[in-house]
Amino acid sequence: METQLPAEDEEVVRAENLRKTFTLSRKQQRLERTSFARKVAVDGLSFAAQRGEIYGLLGPNGAGKTTTLRILSTLIRPDTGDAYVCGHSVTREPQKVRDAIGFMTSELKLESFFTPSYLFDFFGAMHGVEKETLAQRKQDLFARFGIDRFAEVKVRDLSTGMLQKVSLVVSIVHDPAVVIFDEPTNGLDVLTAKVVTDFLLELKRMGKSILLSTHIFSLVEKLCDRVGIIIDGKMAADGKLKDVCGEMSIEERFFEIYRTVRGEEA
Amino acid sequence: MKLLALMKKEFARFFGDPKLLVTMIIPGLLIYVIYSIMGSAMFGGEEVKYDFRVYLSGESQVVEIIDDALADSGWTAEFLTLPAEGAQTVEEALDRVNSGEADALLVFSDGFDDAIAGTGTATVPTAELMYDSQSEASAAFASLAGNILDSYGRTFELTMNDFAESADIMRTTMAGILPFLIVIFVFSACMSVTLESVAGEKERGTLATILVTSARRTDIALGKVLPLACVSLIGAASSFLGVVLSLPTLMGISVDVAVAGISAVGYIMLLLNIISIVPLIVAAIATVSTLSRTVKEASGYTSVIMIIMMVLSIVASFVSGIGDWVVALPILNAVVAMQGVLSGATVLWQCLAAFAINLFYTALLILLIARLLSSERVMFGK
Repeated sequence: METQLPAEDEEVVRAENLRKTFTLSRKQQRLERTSFARKVAVDGLSFAAQRGEIYGLLGPNGAGKTTTLRILSTLIRPDTGDAYVCGHSVTREPQKVRDAIGFMTSELKLESFFTPSYLFDFFGAMHGVEKETLAQRKQDLFARFGIDRFAEVKVRDLSTGMLQKVSLVVSIVHDPAVVIFDEPTNGLDVLTAKVVTDFLLELKRMGKSILLSTHIFSLVEKLCDRVGIIIDGKMAADGKLKDVCGEMSIEERFFEIYRTVRGEEA
Repeated sequence: MKLLALMKKEFARFFGDPKLLVTMIIPGLLIYVIYSIMGSAMFGGEEVKYDFRVYLSGESQVVEIIDDALADSGWTAEFLTLPAEGAQTVEEALDRVNSGEADALLVFSDGFDDAIAGTGTATVPTAELMYDSQSEASAAFASLAGNILDSYGRTFELTMNDFAESADIMRTTMAGILPFLIVIFVFSACMSVTLESVAGEKERGTLATILVTSARRTDIALGKVLPLACVSLIGAASSFLGVVLSLPTLMGISVDVAVAGISAVGYIMLLLNIISIVPLIVAAIATVSTLSRTVKEASGYTSVIMIIMMVLSIVASFVSGIGDWVVALPILNAVVAMQGVLSGATVLWQCLAAFAINLFYTALLILLIARLLSSERVMFGK
């Protein structure tokens, strides 16, 4: 099922005052040295990502990036607030949101028993893609990313780089308007990381809108048109990369903001 | 020290996880509770009042002892010494026992009491008890009288003759054992394929990949349960055939004799009941698997379900006269229906109701799995 692309300059993702809390077990409370039974992961987060751009959510570990992306991908629900993907509410129309997005995270895995070809067809069916369209997309994407030679090799026998490519291709099997990517290069070797960054730039060239989370400054500088800096679940800065950074590098700007927000050195 | 550290780690892993601990304790508790209920049902329920009709050939003081013992149990007996009303000879008395008009025939050799006291003839005194184990009253009398004769403490030869046809005994035994065995084998077949269905996918991270697609949760739940039920059905059918074909041989009766008392409709009903419990058990295990964080945890919870299933299926074998309300209880309804079929007394409405109700419960469980798949706490809770 091909999703209708929004008009140019249109907001494809809009988060409005998102708040998400989690219950802490006694053990977690001890580890976090707190007596509070609930932890605020995302605290009134609002931002917008435009069509055809790459938006990066930048922040340290535990800032709320993954929680935000999970809310946007409808895996979890916000306590309050709402978010819209291609105009569909993540809380009220999760089915339509799932049709519009491709979600990639290292936590989502593919069954190692199956082949890339089978999994592409399976996830195509899950998204309701028509057979002819699916066959054509498989041919195009497998050829473009060099998967065609490994199409019938079981996933468990693929190299890490090839597996990553397969995961990426499977996540966009339904030609989504928006691709959400949680920590795209986390834990990858340099070769596989390049596969991923090249893939994201390729998607951008294809007119896709991309939302990614990262704590790697160079990745933001290399890929992102806009950036949102999250600290302690709150949006500390948000806008076009050059507007947020000014004359500074993203790394310098991040630590300046961090000191301002936290009142301490990182 | 290393050994101690290793052991400490294993204990910490076990005692640090309350859920694992609970799965170890719950089976014992369940056994206690359910067996207590069974005990009450078997022995604490309304007592059956028997008024036995027993023919006597020959005389003995042991009859008075039997009569006293019957009175202690709240039962009464009419002992009719041959020739008596309705039976003039031993042969006629046997016919009455066979036809169910009398409950037993006791034959004592001439001068039985004198002989066992050592004051009579030199021949070994004999006592013969003839009854029909297919009759509850006859079996009850034989059990009590047989025990008294056995423990009479004097030297004599006791013979107990059961008139029940071997095929009838076989069918009664099959009716009691087979449903229990079927449930156990069906459960094993279902467990082997279903246990890791959801929990395993959670552990491997492949379930979340499906959850971010636009597939409906009910489709995902159905997509899990139905194929697993089909696969389990093959395993269950194989086990069922194995049991059905081997049990008669095991009990010394040919398969032909054992199956002769079951009609074609009976076999269809048997199959329908197996077909209805397979998806139900698969759905129950899949629900547990969905609720569990790991396959190990699912395995612990499933053992609890297995005990419940075993007890439910064995309850029907021990408790007689269960009311029609049993059709509302999953699994137990199928066990009772299968018992009816196997004992040659198929109750059609009971079989069909059990089939429909078990499928209804299956549908409810599938809806529950779908809800659980949407639950953030269940799917992503640590």
